[in-house]
Formats: sequence, structure tokens, C-alpha cells
Amino acid sequence: MILLTGGTGFLGAHIAAHLIDRKERILLLARSRQGVSAAARVGRLLDWFGLPADLRGKVEVIEGCLERPGFGLEPGAPTPLSGEIDEIVHCASNTSFAERKRVELEAVNLGGLGHVLDLAERSGCRRFHLISTAYVAGLTPGHCAEELVRPSAFTNVYEETKCRAEWLAVERCSRAGIRLSIYRPSIVYGHSETGRSLLFNALYYPVRTALFLKNLYERDIRERGGKKAGEMGVRIEADGWTTMPIRIRAEDEGGLNVIPVDFFVRAFEAIREAVGEGGVFHIVSSQPTRIEDIIDYGQTLFRIRGFSACPAQEMEAKPRNALEKVFETYLEAYEPYIRDRRVFGTEKSGPVLESRGIRCPGLTIDIFKKCLDYAVQCGWGARLYGE
Amino acid sequence: MPKDDDDVLRTAAQCRHYAMCKIDYLGTGLCPPGKKYHYVSYYPQGRMDLYAALAEDLIPVTEGLVRIAETCTLCGICDLQCHFVTGLRPLRVMKALKDRVGDFLKGGGKPASVAPDAPLRRLQGIVGADWATNDPAVLVTYANDPFPLAGMKMPRYVVLPGSRDEVAAVVRLANELGLPYAVRGNGGSVFGFVFSEGMVLDMQRMRRISVDKDNWSASVGPGVTSFELQQEAFRHGLRVNAAEPAATVCGNIVCTGTFSAWSHAYGTAADGFIDMEFVDSRGEVFPLNDKKAPNVYAFENAVIPAPGICTEALVKLQPTTEDEDGLLVPFWDFDQAVALARELGRRRIGLAVAVMGIHYIANFMSPSKDLAGRLKDVLPETLGIRYAVFAIGDRFAREAIHKLAAAVIDSDLLRTLTLGLPRLLDPEWQDLVKGFEAGRPPYEILCRPEMRPLLEAVLRPSPETFAGAVEEDLRKPYAELYSQPRFTDMTWLNMFRILSSRMSRRKHMFAFLVYVPLDRHDVINHINSEFDRIAQAHGIDHDFGFLTPMDLGKRAILEYDYYIDHTDPAEREKIRRAMLEIGPWLDGLAERTKGVTFLKYVFSQGCSRKENFLYR
Repeated sequence: MILLTGGTGFLGAHIAAHLIDRKERILLLARSRQGVSAAARVGRLLDWFGLPADLRGKVEVIEGCLERPGFGLEPGAPTPLSGEIDEIVHCASNTSFAERKRVELEAVNLGGLGHVLDLAERSGCRRFHLISTAYVAGLTPGHCAEELVRPSAFTNVYEETKCRAEWLAVERCSRAGIRLSIYRPSIVYGHSETGRSLLFNALYYPVRTALFLKNLYERDIRERGGKKAGEMGVRIEADGWTTMPIRIRAEDEGGLNVIPVDFFVRAFEAIREAVGEGGVFHIVSSQPTRIEDIIDYGQTLFRIRGFSACPAQEMEAKPRNALEKVFETYLEAYEPYIRDRRVFGTEKSGPVLESRGIRCPGLTIDIFKKCLDYAVQCGWGARLYGE
Repeated sequence: MPKDDDDVLRTAAQCRHYAMCKIDYLGTGLCPPGKKYHYVSYYPQGRMDLYAALAEDLIPVTEGLVRIAETCTLCGICDLQCHFVTGLRPLRVMKALKDRVGDFLKGGGKPASVAPDAPLRRLQGIVGADWATNDPAVLVTYANDPFPLAGMKMPRYVVLPGSRDEVAAVVRLANELGLPYAVRGNGGSVFGFVFSEGMVLDMQRMRRISVDKDNWSASVGPGVTSFELQQEAFRHGLRVNAAEPAATVCGNIVCTGTFSAWSHAYGTAADGFIDMEFVDSRGEVFPLNDKKAPNVYAFENAVIPAPGICTEALVKLQPTTEDEDGLLVPFWDFDQAVALARELGRRRIGLAVAVMGIHYIANFMSPSKDLAGRLKDVLPETLGIRYAVFAIGDRFAREAIHKLAAAVIDSDLLRTLTLGLPRLLDPEWQDLVKGFEAGRPPYEILCRPEMRPLLEAVLRPSPETFAGAVEEDLRKPYAELYSQPRFTDMTWLNMFRILSSRMSRRKHMFAFLVYVPLDRHDVINHINSEFDRIAQAHGIDHDFGFLTPMDLGKRAILEYDYYIDHTDPAEREKIRRAMLEIGPWLDGLAERTKGVTFLKYVFSQGCSRKENFLYR
């Protein structure tokens, strides 16, 4: 029996779907949200994955709250959690970067993990799989090895709590004799073949923002005379393309380390199968993508022009307008990820994946188009389930 | 009862008794019969009570009720007025009341007539036949309030004296007859303390205001509301420290001493007036500025009666400058917000200052209950705002605050956000705003001046955009209201406080007020967390309200609010049980903590020197 937490999240759901597809017996710990029960949320996700009904019999959903001891379940009451659990896959995580949400992040990423480890200790669990992030490296420059780290500083509270979580898991698992595998993906986007995704943040955000602004100012031009668009220098060209003169600061090399979710799942499974004794594993791309490429893809796809990379000195020469400020704010927040020149070592994971022929595809315009088409089609997540 | 009647009755029962229908705060006029006949029974508030009382068979159709029903012209003034603050639509209640009485008469019903008894005849001899009554239709509108801890008390008489001498004569007569009495400034009391089985005195007719600019004072009668006094002060380019708009000035001073965000500069209690005149329990008149007068400036930490019936107050008028304007400093962290408020106190910056919780901000900005509820979620979740320090000040004060704060929502930005509110809540825009966030909360980015053009483009703020959030038939009047700059002018809105009743739009509000030491974050946080704990234990909706620094930031007044449906007996029981915990806890805290005083003990001692209860 495998217990999986975070099964209603992006990575957790994909791992859950994969395990179900492999006919594993799994317990999903999930919470209700906005009046939708945990079982209904999971059911909705399994529908999204198109999993046939006959496979779903091996899935059991437990409605609980990770942040509460014993998941808030009645102490002593018989639940499937009282039985034997062979493995735990802990995906649940709060991925906010917001310092103001530190308490919530610590409650989930550390407190929640602690409660799952409590269960691991008392349930006879033999293997613990912790889904972490490549960015536990914090502000460490250069080569980041597949080993536990103690960076002197972090970009945000998310990185910090995930790093502390790794140490917590190591300490507790080693004390209890549980084999621990730590998986560190970089930034995960949709499926490289279908474009499907459950989450539309990091990679998608700048494109979504550009599209939002394009639609906003096109409406202004078409319906209200275009005064606001004019103030920003936005115009619709004769060929139907929209020009949005937006300078983006470009000073460093480096890129965004992104991986498609199907690669992540295959890599996770390969490492889980191959390395029984556990360890720390990066699941990353060997070919980081430049933000400029992403913007180019976005411009081509959505018939936009006018975005330009601009050295910092030139940026300072002319005040930024609101549109540039929006992008700059985004770039500020994600700078360490976007202009990342670090190399995430794959000394351990690389051979495992290579031996199974698992390779991370580069983000091409074709893959990008599939992903963005899907994102637009599902309203950036608003219509994921057809609502 | 048919469903329509059920809905009408539900509306009638939800009247909060804030008496906002008794002041012309929207500039759309005043209920004509109310203005003419003065009894609360003739105002929409009274008619709501009358409809509920008839439905519950509490009163028969009386001659007085027929008069009340017939004088309503269904002009609709009340519908916009009431919706603006409570979201209720009373017009259909007004119509249902008229229809019900009309049907009664058409069916051959004969209205009950209650003959005057000897005491009433003597009361009428003092105040005039029109201004004292024992008609049950009038009495019942003075018998109850939404306050959940007091039952109905039907008075025998309602009397509306017209002068100080009439008040004194009525008191002497009451003493002679052994008739208990209660005084209601504006014919409404949200705390339900002002009822009597004997006689209710409604001071509504005594509405004289006289401004003495040379003495920076205004003389006001006990029927004058804060709104009306502020209007008069405003006409002279001056200001008073104002209570809720429908509260009477005299009643408010006597009850708790006037406190508001302006108390930051203008103080509270005895700071607000120069002199007051009372009729004491023997029917004798005395001014406070008299060496022989009772010492009402002293304070005793106990529930004690008022010094008498206030028949006139000489209220301080304050100067204004032309460059006054408001701003909000948003915060995620409460302690940081309190620290800024204290800093403004210590440095004497600004005229009005308050830390506000999101329930306040959301309701002040939103024209509907639904929108306020959504904004209350969006403010913290999307924008990172859980609190805001609100301030009014001249340009020097505002410049200073800009230097002290990481981000400021100035009056232009607030106007943009308010008039574009429905689009601010658009899910797609929210997703984008959330994406701004990393180390700094999104509000810091939205507050940047260079973001204004984008905000303008996204929100397309206009009175019409704003009005789009209310029912279709109200959109035009809402758009007209919000075309007037004062409806988005922070200074005007906070001088007149016309939005304060929106706090109770969702449910009846039960406010707890405590004076606190502003340098003691531990005490303030303890008070908030204990109110939170008790509310949760009893399943009561609750929220931090506001905190205003006083006396150079040494002390503050803190409001924490509980919200209940006062028509639901189970909710009433919850608040009753909660009160059993709150009283002893706050008493104990006040006993061992300097600077903590429960406002409960200031009731009826509002004329005290504030120093006497702030520094016990």
C-alpha cells in the first residue's frame, strides 16, 4: 500500500495517476476545498486523467488536514491509515514565494511533513519519497550537487522551507530506519506531447500576462477609441498583429530550467524503481530555456510584436511604463530562476534515466504551442474540469 | 402567510435600527411624513417594526397606525437610502404595510382607538396634544431593538418634548406619578439599553443648531444628529469630532463620549465639548460649567446612571485646511500597522488615524454585501492586505506618511479601486496580480505611481462600473451618487461617517470597545486573540474592527466585532454565552493592566475627562 499526499496538486496528481495506471493500491490523503469533498476533488482529477473506472477501485481517499496532528482524524478511529503502509510519496507542499505566508508555508512544508513522518514511523513504512525542489540550493552559485545542502541564503521562503524539510526528513527517516529518496525537480510545465497541465504559473505567467494586456488594449482600441492603448504605445497593425513596445531588461546569460510533467513522472518512477536505497536526485533539464525565447514563442503564437531585450543601462535612460513595470516585477521575482546559470548535477539521477532512455525534451516552439493552446483552451485553469 | 409576505417580513425583521432613514445622508431627501411627524413610527424604521408587529399580532390596527400607513406616499427615498448601508429594500415593506391597513379598512375593519388616560392628558398638557401618545402603533416602535440580550419592553407613553422647560416639567411629572422613563436621542438605540415600561422621551423635536464662530463652538439641541451638526460645521468650513451620523450629538457624548478616527487629534469624552446643560432626576436644570454642578468630569470604573437628560451641548468646532486629504497604508502584519498608527500619534501627524481590518475596508468600498464578501477574500489573498492604516491629513502630514510607509493608497488610487471594484475582483486579473508576488506583497506594486495607467485600463473606473454591482433598478441612482466626488472623498466620508452602518450589512454587529495601551502590542494582541478564541468557541462570526491612537499614541481605542443574525434565537444564545466569558475576562485584564478600560464602564460617563479612564 502506498500513501500519497498532495494528490490533488500538480505533481501529486500526476504521480497518483501514474501509480493508479500501474495498478498500485494507493491511499490519497486530501482535503476538501470550497465545499468540494476530498473524494470529489480526487474523482474530478481522475476524470481529467481519463482513468478508467476499473482502475479506480484501488484508490482510497482519506479526507484529512496535513497541518493537524494525525491529519485531524479522530484519534483511535479505524481508518485505512491504521493499516500497513509500505511506501509514502509526500508531494504536498505550499509553493508560495510570499514571505507574508511564512506561517502557512512552515505549517505545510515542515509541520505537515512532520505529521506524515509520524505516520511513517508508526505504520512500518519502509520507503519515503519526498518531492522537493532543485531550488533548495538557494543562492548557491555554480554546480549544485545531488546532496543535502545548507545554503547561506535563499531566494524566498519556499526554497528555505523545502530545504529545511529535506533535513527534517533525513533526520527522522534515518532514526526510524526508513529509506528516503528526495526528488528535486526544477520548474515543471505541462505534458510535452499533449500540452495538458493542471497548473499555469512560472513558465506560463509572462505569456499569460502579455496575452492579457494584448486583449485589454485591443478591446480599448476596438471599443473605446484606444486612448489607453495609445498612452502605452500599443497599436493594432494592418496585418492584424498587435505591437506592444515593451522593453525587457536583459543583462545576464543563463536561462530557465524547465521540464515537462511527463518527463518528471517517468524520471520519478525510474529512480523509485532503480534506487531502492534512496538518495537525493535532481530531475532537471540539461538545456535551460532563455526567457527571451519564451517571449518570442509567445509573440509568435499570439501575434504580438514589440517586446525587446534591452541592456540595463538603456532601460535606465527612459522611464519604464506600467507594462514594462509589470514584466520587470515578474522578472524581479523570478530572476534567480530565469537567469539561472547554475548547473544542477545529475551524477546519480543521470545514469538511471539514461539507462532507461529517459531524456528531458527541450522546450521547442511546438511543445510550447501545445502547452499554451491547452492553457488558453482551459482558461488558464479556470475551466479545467469543463465548468 | 404567502411567500411574498414571508420575504417582506424577513426584510422588516432585519431592520438594524440605525436610524439612517432619519437623516438625509445621500442628499436625496428625507422621508416626508417622518420629517413632519417626528415619531420614529412615521419613518421607514418604524414602519418596518410596525409591519413585523402586525404580522406577529403584537398590536391591533389602531387609528395611529392608519394615519402612519396613509401618510406614506411610497416615494421610494428609503429604498436607496437603506440599500446604501444595509442592502435592504424597505419600499416593499412600506407598500405591504399600506396594503395591509388598506385591506383591513376595505374589509370593514374599525381601527382601535385608545382613549387618553389621566397621565397622558397631563403629559399632553406639557408638550401639546400631538407630542405625547399612548397609541400602541407608536409605542411598539419604541419597544425593541436588534440588541439580542434585551427583550421587548412596551412603554405606556411616548413623549416628544419641544424645549428644555418641557423636559424638566415632564421629569417632574414622572417623579410625581412614579412613572419610570427612558430617553432616546434619535428614537433608536442599537445596544437596546434605552427602554422603559413607563415613558420614552424622544428628543427628535429639539433640533436647534447655532454656530458661534468666534467661540469655535456650536450649540446643539438633543435631537440634532452628528450628521446634521457636521453639515452645519462644514458649511462654515469647520469640523466636529463626529459620532455615527444618525447618533444624536448630545446622546452620544453622554453615552460614551464621542470617539472616532478623528479622536487621534480631537480626543474624546470631555475633549469634545465646552459645556453641556442637563435636566437632573428632580427636574432641575444645571449646566456643567457651574461650580455647584455635579462633577461629571470624574470617572468611576462602574456602571452608573447618566447625570440627567442633556438638553443642550456646546460642542467644539475644529479648524480645517484646504489641502486635507486621506490615504491608506496597507499592511499584512497587524503589529506593523499598529506601530505606524502609534508613530503617527507620537509624532502628531495627521488629523484622523485608524488601523482598520479588512471587514471594514471591504464594506466601506463595496456597494453590495456580495461584493464586500468577495473583496474581503481578495484583499488578503490576492493583494496581501489584511489591515490598513487610514489617515486624513494636510499635505505635510501626507508627505510624512509617504516617507514612513512602504506603500500608500492615496485618495486617487482609492477612487480608482472603488469605482473599478467589480473589475478589481475579476478572477483573471487577480491571477495576474498574484503572480507579481515574491518577497513583497502585491499591493506594494499596485501602489506604484507608474502602475496607475494600467490599473485605469484594467478597472475602467467609473460610477457606472461601480453601479454595475447592484441590482439593475438601482444602477442609475448609484451611478448618480458616485458621480458626486464626495462619495469617494475620504475626508468627506470620514467626517460624515455615512458608510459606518455598512459594517452591519451582512449581520447585526455587536461591537466590543476597549481602551488599550498603544505601546503594549502584547496586550493588544492578547485582546484580539481572546475575542477570536471566544467567538470561535461559540461559533460566532467575528473580525477585528479598528484601532485609533489617542493622546499622542499613548493609548488607543480598539473595536472588535461579533456578527449575528439577531432574528435567530440560536445566534442570540451564542452571544449571550460569549458575553458571560467576555465580561469577567476583560474586567480581570483591566484590573491588572494599566491603560485597559472596557468601554462598558464609560457608558453614561461620556462627559468624563478622558485622562480619568485612560490613566487609571
